[in-house]
Amino acid sequence: MSECIWIHYARPRPHWYGLDAATQTAHEKTWATAADASLAAGGSRLGRYHIRGQQDFETVEIWRFPSAEAAFEHWSALTAAAYGELNAFANNVGLSIEGSP
Amino acid sequence: MTLLTEATDVFAAAETGGRCLVAFAAKRQPLARGVFGTDQARRLKTILQALQADGWLMSVRAMFEPNASAEPYVFDTGFAHDADMVGAFEAPSLSAALAGTVRLEQAGWARRFATEWLLGPREFSTVQGRGAQTDHSWGFLALWEWNDAWSAATKAERRAYDEECDIAFKGDVALGINIAGRHRLDWASCWHHAGLWEAPSLNSVDVAMQGHEAAADFKFTTSRHYVGRLRPLADFIEPDAD
Repeated sequence: MSECIWIHYARPRPHWYGLDAATQTAHEKTWATAADASLAAGGSRLGRYHIRGQQDFETVEIWRFPSAEAAFEHWSALTAAAYGELNAFANNVGLSIEGSP
Repeated sequence: MTLLTEATDVFAAAETGGRCLVAFAAKRQPLARGVFGTDQARRLKTILQALQADGWLMSVRAMFEPNASAEPYVFDTGFAHDADMVGAFEAPSLSAALAGTVRLEQAGWARRFATEWLLGPREFSTVQGRGAQTDHSWGFLALWEWNDAWSAATKAERRAYDEECDIAFKGDVALGINIAGRHRLDWASCWHHAGLWEAPSLNSVDVAMQGHEAAADFKFTTSRHYVGRLRPLADFIEPDAD
């Protein structure tokens, strides 16, 4: 199993904006807990960036995971916590190119 | 693994053992002479054989009958689509799937094809179509995402929707269509799921789609569909004639 990069594009779905602030915060807390578990399992988060100015997603988040399976587990935990129901998304996974710096 | 939606009458949750779909939609690239020659074709065939030796399945048919055929088969879609072929392998794991696509690309696949790879674990088991085993010489690949309307719907509304779609899926099976279960793509794609069918004819796919429209399948999904004729992968990786 090889380390991989995982690139996650997201934007809130329309009904996200109809939730009250307390409900939104509760969801964000659940997703943060899932992210913490992924960090504890060996993942590393390179960052989350705002990209709305260039395309229809709002953010891009980039992670390194110890394996493709670890990337899947991270995503699976988020979707089990309704992340995909409240955010539109597109994901990419990739292996590092041999010999690249 | 948590299923994205629950099992239904037609679809049962699968024990995946970590195996991973490797589906693809590929377009042959116009190449100058010699860019993809007999050497690249030979290397590609060698890698395909090595993947099979590593436990890969090399066709949709093999998902129903793992020992059916050793030869990689795809669906010829060029007559109706931008992609010249679509197909599906199955790898022993997600890691093996990802590494295998890189091996193929580096062995010459990247010269021959511009490809959208679609990887993910099986969620639902295969469903055998009704009737006698006939010649299933047509294939169908559906990619879909749950749209904003599905995402905003209640659990009860989604369940009612699944039950309505199940009527359409029962119609598909009654048409003799074999459904290779359902695979999850969302961890590495904008698509959420893939559905792969073996069909007796193009007409059977068309009739099936009418059933899905009648069941309001597409009110909660945005989808892309490919139809194609069964054909050996080897036909697509032969070098261009001089």
